[in-house]
Amino acid sequence: MIKFDQVTKRYPGSNEVLKNISFNIEAGELVFVTGHSGAGKSTLLKLIAAIERPTSGTVLVANQNISKLKPSAIPFMRRRFGLVFQDHKLLYDRNCFDNVILPLHINGISGSEAAKRVRAALDKVGLLHKEKAMPITLSGGEQQRLAIARAVVSRPSILIADEPTGNLDASYAAEIMEIFHAFHQVGVTVIIATHEALGKTVIRNRILHIDHGELKSSELLSTESLKS
Amino acid sequence: MSANIISTLLNHHAQAIKLVLTRMHNNAASTFMICLVIAVAMCVPGVFYMGVDHLSKLTNHMQDETEISLFLKLDADKDTLSEIEGILAKNAAIKQYALVTKEQAWQQFKEKSATNEVNNQVNQLAKNPLPDAFFIQAKSAEPEALELLKNELQAIPGIEQALLNTEWAKRLSTLLTLGKKIILFVAALLALALLVIIGNTVRMQILTQKDEIVVSKLIGATSSFIRMPFLYAGILYGLLGGILAIVLLAAIVLGFNQSVMQLSNLYNSDFSLPLFNPSLSISIICAAIFIGWLGSYLAVTRAIAAIKIT
Repeated sequence: MIKFDQVTKRYPGSNEVLKNISFNIEAGELVFVTGHSGAGKSTLLKLIAAIERPTSGTVLVANQNISKLKPSAIPFMRRRFGLVFQDHKLLYDRNCFDNVILPLHINGISGSEAAKRVRAALDKVGLLHKEKAMPITLSGGEQQRLAIARAVVSRPSILIADEPTGNLDASYAAEIMEIFHAFHQVGVTVIIATHEALGKTVIRNRILHIDHGELKSSELLSTESLKS
Repeated sequence: MSANIISTLLNHHAQAIKLVLTRMHNNAASTFMICLVIAVAMCVPGVFYMGVDHLSKLTNHMQDETEISLFLKLDADKDTLSEIEGILAKNAAIKQYALVTKEQAWQQFKEKSATNEVNNQVNQLAKNPLPDAFFIQAKSAEPEALELLKNELQAIPGIEQALLNTEWAKRLSTLLTLGKKIILFVAALLALALLVIIGNTVRMQILTQKDEIVVSKLIGATSSFIRMPFLYAGILYGLLGGILAIVLLAAIVLGFNQSVMQLSNLYNSDFSLPLFNPSLSISIICAAIFIGWLGSYLAVTRAIAAIKIT
């Protein structure tokens, strides 16, 4: 599904953020990208989502070379992903329903079909009763759940979350992680970047641990071994 | 599949228009302002065009009525007269001609002057001082053709003088041509100003929608999807501004028409400006829509390229 081959990323005027990284993520996997802040986790996710291009090496998503995509093809590539950001990136000038419907509008879906899907997505994250509420009135955890609803409403095959629990306390964070697990259960490829200790719900999953831009391990690790 | 693409496209357009109308409704005052600016800028050349256009129609009409007066030499006899008449009858450029003999002219002149003081002096004249004359209507109303015909007739033996009284009309039509050029120039300058104003308005809107644009790009919106609402905004500004310009134009014409009618009455004409000129109205609306679209296209293309998502 996603294949990195000797990928290096350097931003203009900085050192290498990612150094010679190679890994492979199969369809339907749940993968955690861990590392201290500034290790290059966000850059890794941006490379997958075609927001950045590698300085060298190849990034393949569904057998398409991200760095060889024409600019006009990139939007269509991005529609394969559901993106969740640490800062939510919600639009505060419209209510929850209108926030979630945006990806459907981009896909040209409107009317009752769109409304049905929006309510289904809101229901999955437990916000169905808040569809008319403005995002600013929601708690931090609710805002993040709203962002997840927006990411999954167009039924992407890959869900990418950058520090989704970064600003949340432990109980909210656990709720969010359970939601991601639920999507993993139904076959969605889920990639989550986090710098924190992982919650109890993580038992055995792939972990890509990045340290100063280098991939330190790509093993199947248990939560216990990560903590030790 | 292709039906799918078409319905997607139609959905995009419908959503963009809905979005723009909502935004315009929420910012009714500023929308009205920009439309008013467009209306005024379109209205100014419109008023002048209307004036010049109708004046030139009026002069064309007058030129249609122009005759060439052909005065024969005083000593011309019956033979010369019929000879000249033969030449005129054969000339293909002449629509019709009428002969007024010196006797008829003398009679007419005496009748006309019977009531005024000239009468005494006229009666004192021993013999008829008037020549035989032909009054000729040409087929063409073109000043050049008339001039040519006049010279041709002047050259006929036995002709004292051929008179073409279109000099003033020629001067006026030259002035009107100049007027039209000035209007074109003013209109071009105003169009440029409108492009800048509309571009700037749309640029401001883009800045207020920056978050939405960034999020839309991140979740896979194409550039044309992002551009569309702003292009529709420009088009709608143009449409509303154009309609407002036509209303404004009608109001101005209404205000002017009384004076115009008074003036044209002095010239024995019932000339007045029409309140609604269909071709001018359509031109104004089309021009306004095009300027609105172009202004926002230029602004949105630049602004969206400047918004980075990382």
